[in-house]
Amino acid sequence: MADYITFRDVFFDKIYELAKKDSDVVIVVADMSAPALDKFRKELPSQFINVGIAEQNAIVVGSGLALAGKKVFVYAIAPFITLRCLEQIRVSNCIMNIPITIVGMGTGLSYDSDGPTHHLIEDISILRSLPNITIHNINDNAMASFYAEELCDIDSTHYVRLDKDFCDNIYDINFDFSKGMSKLCEGEENLIITTGPMVHTAMALVKDSPHNIAVIDIFQVPINEPVFLDMIKGAKKIITLEEHFLPGGLGSAVCEILNDNDIHIFVKRLGLDINSAYKYCYKYGGREIIRSYHGIDKVSLEKIINEYFKN
Amino acid sequence: MNFKLRDNSMLFIEDFKNKSHEIRRNTLEMCVGAKKGHVTSCFSCTDILVALYYGEVLKYKSSDPNWEDRDRFILSKGQASPVLYNILADVGFFDKSELKKFNKEGGMFAVHLQNDVPGVEITAGSLGQGYGVAAGLALGAKMNNQLHNVYALLGDGECYEGSIWETAMFASHNRLNNLITIVDRNYLCVTDFTENLISLEPFSKKWEAFGFNVIEIDGHSFSEIMDAFGHNRSRSFSKPTVIIADTVKGKGMDCLCYQPLWHGRAPSIDMFAKICPSCDLHKDKCCGKNMNLDKIKKGI
Repeated sequence: MADYITFRDVFFDKIYELAKKDSDVVIVVADMSAPALDKFRKELPSQFINVGIAEQNAIVVGSGLALAGKKVFVYAIAPFITLRCLEQIRVSNCIMNIPITIVGMGTGLSYDSDGPTHHLIEDISILRSLPNITIHNINDNAMASFYAEELCDIDSTHYVRLDKDFCDNIYDINFDFSKGMSKLCEGEENLIITTGPMVHTAMALVKDSPHNIAVIDIFQVPINEPVFLDMIKGAKKIITLEEHFLPGGLGSAVCEILNDNDIHIFVKRLGLDINSAYKYCYKYGGREIIRSYHGIDKVSLEKIINEYFKN
Repeated sequence: MNFKLRDNSMLFIEDFKNKSHEIRRNTLEMCVGAKKGHVTSCFSCTDILVALYYGEVLKYKSSDPNWEDRDRFILSKGQASPVLYNILADVGFFDKSELKKFNKEGGMFAVHLQNDVPGVEITAGSLGQGYGVAAGLALGAKMNNQLHNVYALLGDGECYEGSIWETAMFASHNRLNNLITIVDRNYLCVTDFTENLISLEPFSKKWEAFGFNVIEIDGHSFSEIMDAFGHNRSRSFSKPTVIIADTVKGKGMDCLCYQPLWHGRAPSIDMFAKICPSCDLHKDKCCGKNMNLDKIKKGI
């Protein structure tokens, strides 16, 4: 594990490089640190703005800075910089369309030992219901680096989900992320469409599966519809998989596109069942244990996937 | 008392008063016609806005709304948009015919402030948010070495929003002396007076404790308003300044001033017919003279 660095460090290292060359690049944080950020704070103090533990203020001050011509990244713990500030985001960044990049640390069940206040399993649904905001679900270092650079020049608001865990890299550093999704294994009829850290889980499962299953990584929402429709050509069975409540999440987004395009493929949505509510939110012992209560741990998924794609 | 303008012409207190009277009357007519608008919220801050726009406090070019060197004016209490729209039309940001289309099909605007109207910086209506944008603009101006000021007008009721104080802390910590905050202290929210609801007092001490240079004025006295704005021209303070303007909600109309539950309402045409022909829309008379101000301002 010693060789791994987190997506967060890759992301902020890249921004640091860009900020050194461009004094308009600024980071607004709500009392957050990280190795890459510490360097930024020490060496570029005038471009590092700490508002204290005040996420709502971070969004509106960041928006004011953007109106003043700054290229703004607002960074805090994910549930607080999204749901706590939802109305600030809605007014300043969606209605007024002031472009900032919101960076949320610790999405999904990343903060497995911190309890439900720190989990974020509702944000894709909530934020994709707002116009003028694009979500990027980062699960790879090359992807983190690509978006750090891309988001220095924006004309609408973006939200970057940063997972806390270390993961293997999936993509080559020169990979073209502009389509917002990628098909990771060959196969046409059986698909697992997934996002964020669950992509790694899905990849491991299809590798060991007796069936031929392709994995599609959706790393940008709203889903790029023409690319998506092209990518699922020939599909007969689809599983969607997400570490997120099911209503409004990735599975819902996939079903909306299929429905609106009159495509009749059965879709099995796997994720956190809303009916279990927050029943398992005080379970501890690691992320995989919490997932197991929701039936999306590797062991449970292996059974479901092999059964579903059997015929 | 008079004020010398940049073209060496003089502006007398009476000129300000006449302009305020005209703006209030036009605003009232507009809101009555549309049966919409927070008339009393508009009238408490009319004199402040008139001073800003006609007293050469704000730097702006109505022919070039996005002029880079303009002062930014953030009307954080976005419900007072009708009076701002009347002023913006009057100083030439857009045609006055737009005012007749207030809240009508094909019209440019309605009750709450929107940023696509020429001369307007932000969309406001959700209280407590515009102020943070103003602080971001002020910090951005400093980072860009720009000399313009940012003026933010808040309602006193808006100061119940916690986000106001998040921004206040931020502004004073960052010594944003290019941010001039004005609080329209009209003592009245929707249902009741502030001191009956949740007491805001000691209000100026709260701002002082947050690190502000506090100026308390009569928000209907043009000499006091202009004097307060004059302080900041030289940026003689390192701290940000807040001007707490003691105002009357519904100033100009005895029948509406200091009346709870008149927030967010426009008088009916019948009521307007009674107010306006006799021009009971006062220029000079102190509204609320028969009210128990102790009860209003101290909650006793």
